[in-house]
Amino acid sequence: MPPKHRTPATSTPAASTTPRSTTTPRSTAPTQSPKASKNNTDAQRIVQDLWSSYQTRTSQRTKLLDTFLAFLILVGVLQFLYVVLVGNFPFNAFLSGFSATVGQFVLTASLRIQTNPQNEGEFKTISQERAFADFVLGSLLLHFFCVNFIN
Amino acid sequence: MRWLLSLLLLGYLSAVQALSVAGTRLLVVLEDGAEREKYGAFLGDLEARGFHITTEAPKSDSLSLFKHGERTYDHVVLLPCLAKGLGPALSANVLLDFMKKEGNVLVALSSERSTPAAVQSLLLELDIHIPSDKGALVVDHFNYDSTSAADKHDVLLLPYPTTLKTGVTNYFGGDGLIAVPRAVGQTLGNESPLTAPILRAPCTAYSYNPKDEADSAEDPFATGSQLNIVSAMQAHNSARLTVIGSAEMLQNAWFAEKATLSGKAVKTANRDFAEKVSAWAFKEVGVLKVGKLVHYQDEGVSKKVNTSVAIPENNPKIYRIKSDVTFAVEISEYDKTHYVPFVPPEGDAIQLEFSMLSPFHRLNLRPISQTANSTIFGTSFRTPDQHGIFNFRINYRRPFVTNIDEKRQVTVRHFAHDEWPRSWQISGAWVWIAGVWVTVAGWIAFVAVWLWSAPANTVKKTQ
Amino acid sequence: MSVQMEDNQLLKQATSPKTRGLLRVIILALIAGAAVSSRLFSVIRFESIIHEFDPWFNFRATKYLVQHGFYSFWDWFDDRTWHPLGRVTGGTLYPGLMVTSGVIYHLLRALALPVDIRNICVLLAPAFSGLTALATYLLTSEMVTSPSAGLLAAAFMGIAPGYISRSVAGSYDNEAIAIFLLVFTFYLWIKAVKLGSVFYGALTALFYGYMVSAWGGYVFITNLLPLHAFVLICMGRYSPRLYVSYTSWYALGTLASMQIPFVGFLPIRSSEHMSALGVFGLLQLVAFVDYVRAQIPNKQFQTLLRALVLLVFVVAFGGLVLLTVTGVIAPWTGRFYSLWDTGYAKIHIPIIASVSEHQPTAWPAFFFDLNMLIWLFPAGVYMCFKRLTDEQVFVVIYAVLASYFAGVMVRLMLTLTPIVCVASAMAFSQILDTYLDARKPKVPAKEEEGADVAKVAAAAVLPEGLRSTRGPVIGIYSYASKLTVVGASLVYLLLFVMHCTWVTSNAYSSPSVVLASRLPDGSQHIIDDYREAYQWLRQNTPNDAKIMSWWDYGYQIGGMADRPTLVDNNTWNNTHIATVGKAMSSREEVSYPIMRQHEVDYVLVVFGGLLGYSGDDINKFLWMVRIAEGIWPDEVKERDFFTARGEYRVDDEATPTMKNSLMYKMSYYNYNKLFPAGQAQDRVRQARLPAQGPELSTIEEAFTSENWIIRIYKVKDLDNFGRDHQSATAFDKGTKKKRGSARRKGPKTLRVE
Repeated sequence: MPPKHRTPATSTPAASTTPRSTTTPRSTAPTQSPKASKNNTDAQRIVQDLWSSYQTRTSQRTKLLDTFLAFLILVGVLQFLYVVLVGNFPFNAFLSGFSATVGQFVLTASLRIQTNPQNEGEFKTISQERAFADFVLGSLLLHFFCVNFIN
Repeated sequence: MRWLLSLLLLGYLSAVQALSVAGTRLLVVLEDGAEREKYGAFLGDLEARGFHITTEAPKSDSLSLFKHGERTYDHVVLLPCLAKGLGPALSANVLLDFMKKEGNVLVALSSERSTPAAVQSLLLELDIHIPSDKGALVVDHFNYDSTSAADKHDVLLLPYPTTLKTGVTNYFGGDGLIAVPRAVGQTLGNESPLTAPILRAPCTAYSYNPKDEADSAEDPFATGSQLNIVSAMQAHNSARLTVIGSAEMLQNAWFAEKATLSGKAVKTANRDFAEKVSAWAFKEVGVLKVGKLVHYQDEGVSKKVNTSVAIPENNPKIYRIKSDVTFAVEISEYDKTHYVPFVPPEGDAIQLEFSMLSPFHRLNLRPISQTANSTIFGTSFRTPDQHGIFNFRINYRRPFVTNIDEKRQVTVRHFAHDEWPRSWQISGAWVWIAGVWVTVAGWIAFVAVWLWSAPANTVKKTQ
Repeated sequence: MSVQMEDNQLLKQATSPKTRGLLRVIILALIAGAAVSSRLFSVIRFESIIHEFDPWFNFRATKYLVQHGFYSFWDWFDDRTWHPLGRVTGGTLYPGLMVTSGVIYHLLRALALPVDIRNICVLLAPAFSGLTALATYLLTSEMVTSPSAGLLAAAFMGIAPGYISRSVAGSYDNEAIAIFLLVFTFYLWIKAVKLGSVFYGALTALFYGYMVSAWGGYVFITNLLPLHAFVLICMGRYSPRLYVSYTSWYALGTLASMQIPFVGFLPIRSSEHMSALGVFGLLQLVAFVDYVRAQIPNKQFQTLLRALVLLVFVVAFGGLVLLTVTGVIAPWTGRFYSLWDTGYAKIHIPIIASVSEHQPTAWPAFFFDLNMLIWLFPAGVYMCFKRLTDEQVFVVIYAVLASYFAGVMVRLMLTLTPIVCVASAMAFSQILDTYLDARKPKVPAKEEEGADVAKVAAAAVLPEGLRSTRGPVIGIYSYASKLTVVGASLVYLLLFVMHCTWVTSNAYSSPSVVLASRLPDGSQHIIDDYREAYQWLRQNTPNDAKIMSWWDYGYQIGGMADRPTLVDNNTWNNTHIATVGKAMSSREEVSYPIMRQHEVDYVLVVFGGLLGYSGDDINKFLWMVRIAEGIWPDEVKERDFFTARGEYRVDDEATPTMKNSLMYKMSYYNYNKLFPAGQAQDRVRQARLPAQGPELSTIEEAFTSENWIIRIYKVKDLDNFGRDHQSATAFDKGTKKKRGSARRKGPKTLRVE
């Protein structure tokens, strides 16, 4: 089962754009600054298109997932800012706090990928329910490790 | 066990009314008869103090310091004999072995008799040097007895010795003048910390051999206060060797003789001095004993130091780093008949080392309290931030008192896993604890919402 | 328990009648049985005893764990090693092994089967080797469709000497369980990548955590999995499955590994773990970009994103380098440097270079340990190239990396063995499948060749594999050629089995605590000097007598004699070892204060001169000198131990430094009295010793074992009368001091007091 390289699904309407995608233009803005003037309206239009298509096309659960992801990013960024500003004195506490968020993020992202209908070809053996059960298992493990590590 | 034994020993000793802690069996090596008579008063004094004296001639068949590998005597006095050598039973090796078994030796020299080879090499081993030529004696042209040695100036009249240096107890002090007739001077090697002078020659004295043809003494053996009349050596195991340069000092003839120093008539105090020297030499004074040694973890409450003899030392084997420890030790000093509380001399203190490879703490022990016959010294400190195998060590070595070298090994361990502060006790960690729990709470909320929103989704999927 | 689980899976995989599954289970059980029984040579030859050096520590630690419980084991401060520093043992060991045997012990107790903890320790390695065979079967079955390859690989793994070398009964070392965990973790990883399942990712992480708790070699997994992921990304084979499996493994596995006190913060602090973190970050980027690319049509935008990815990667790498330089992240440890530059350790860290298992591998060792597998191995790897799926990329990477490492360090032959077994089983099963592919299912009646061969042959004959090769492949129909090739293969397999048996019984089953020699009449003679000496120590010295010896014997003294030691095989403090090296290689006058300071009561040396036992301390002596020189270059010089012509000699021409060193004196003290005058002969170094033997003054002989292998000396106390020991000994011997010899020299030194 060699993995096909996924062709960008341009014609098929994309299932979703995460809240992350709204940040995309912002985060890439510095890199494309020379062409900013040219791309500015372009980008804005794209963003608007994406946002509307996201609103209409995304399932309830995926929206929920995206909200949770955004929440985790927020928590993670806050913790990271705190580390940069204040310092990481109980290092194990910082590690478990931060890695709980990061770990939860990747697990949730995995769940999102697995439940994405677009990826169904990749995950033939994994049903939605199975994916969710795996996710719960992984999260419980993660929480156990973190709480244990923070002591 | 130790204090029990010493208690028994003490009881035994007091029962036979003896004085020395080291035992009462005393061997005097000397030909019988007239020779013994000369020392009658000295030996009589010793017997009166409780020693059981055996007199043996050198080279006698019955003379043996050991029987079945154990000492047969506790103390040996070697007085100058008529015989040249001391025989196989008293070779230098045997005498050293005797001292290795904590036997005490008192050697008296005389310039008129040749020093036996065994004694010579014994002294040499112990880093005490005597003139190599027979007949060499100490003269002083200022402090001589003008009654008996008006010409030869070889009978010295000396005051009692003063304190050797600050922080050392003087066991030989007194009032009066000591007559030192025709002494063999000794010098001490300057490397050995075990030797110490008891009675030094005055700074105007020098050693010379009257048989020398030369008019003046050139290149004398030693001069001034480098020259000792009486010197002491105390081995690591506290076995004592005392060298008296002039055996005549101990003879009856000089015990209370009239003498004249620079025109003033005085009476010699030799009897008293001989008693003081022999009392030291045979461990009647200057013997320290360590009683109970306790150390324990300070738990904040004032805990009484348990000095009762009945309760054994029940010290912990293991401590933790950075914990408070209290240490106490009971030390007594033997004074002729019984133990008295030990008081370190002015300017000196007993020190406790807490060491691993090198001392992490070296603390003066303060006297905390006194019992009838001991002082309890103690101190408190905090174990260092270094785990390892440490020793509580008291290493007290001073001239004229027996050595104390006590060591108690303890382990200092690291913090156990549950002795660290928990995370919520560290305010800095609160942010991240919050981070974890917010994540978990968010997750639970998410799962709940997810499950709740399930039906709609399945419907959508089935379409 | 786990066997049961795996068996169930096997049964599930069986596609057709239960008999086939049953047959496979029986074959696997037989393979496991063979794997276990071939490791029992040592128990049969000698006795049920713990081997070598490190196992003695593990055994002692296990006993402590069983006696005092898990929590005090965790907080264990060992005051009987590394005197006087002690060792925070609970926090500086990999507890997996001890905890495993502890759990087994209590489990058996609960089942009313009270087994001695020693027997559990002795037999743990063979038991786990059976599990390893099963894990290899599973791993190989994931690689190819033909199940015969899996069975072959399991059989190979069961008896390959490269693995047996560290897992015979009694070899109670971390590797005993670690190899099983390694293979099983890889199996789970492959499964996770194939399915893209969080469940398998989490399982991988759990077993990875177990592996971290068991062996320092876990770093191999930590680097191999990211490398696999990285190569897949670079090949343009990124898939969401990879993201799911890798991130779930990394997030959980890293946290799991940080729960082990000894590992602690290493996973984010040390360079060895940085590749995993880097690939984790990279995967987030790649996934993000992949996602965005799926959403946005603009080509220009895509190139920009690509630039972004590159930029972030460069910045991250730069940051990593910067952090390493500034010291936030610990640089690579010495052991790892020596993996890249084999000469590094010899120059900079003699302590690492001195360990025999850290030496580069001699090429015959490959053949010795792997026999015919070593030439089947490249064929297997080549086959992986032919059909390059994700998991076969893994095989290739594993093969390349492990081959390199095995070439650098003898010890890492162990990590190479599983992949060699897998790859060569793939190659071999290909041969068999091709040549046994009979349209008329005719099987060469040659299988009943003895237990192992029968199994292997049976594995090859299973029709399951035939189906897979059916199709486009044109079979070979000539019976003659089939018979030839199959016959030849069988001969090879037979030879392999014979070789493995021979190697196992002759090379790897010696406990090295007990030596065996052959008497002229061919009967076996046991040389038991080690235990004799340790027993002497146990019975004749006070319980806290400190023993100084070279670190090789530290664990054994701790385990068998139960006495505190200065240094042991856990070489955590180089300075302390160098101190011992200095004491051994210096003159007595220098050594004595060192020994006093460390409160040494007895010194133990190993001397093989009488017996011709070459692993003795004089032969290791140069390492002591080198290690000591590393710390005190002014006081100990290696050059001084060589003659002017650069020879290392112990006879008349030995250098004065050599002859005066404590080690030399202790080894040869009184040795010449065994021989007629002037005839003393050292049988290891083939040298005739000086007629005048060395004299000792600060230590005295306390014990010498039957064959003089172990000699124990007691350190004398300070001389009672303050003399130095030389003159004290001289006096005792009757040499009188010259009177006043010191007095006549120069001006008088006056006593000031």
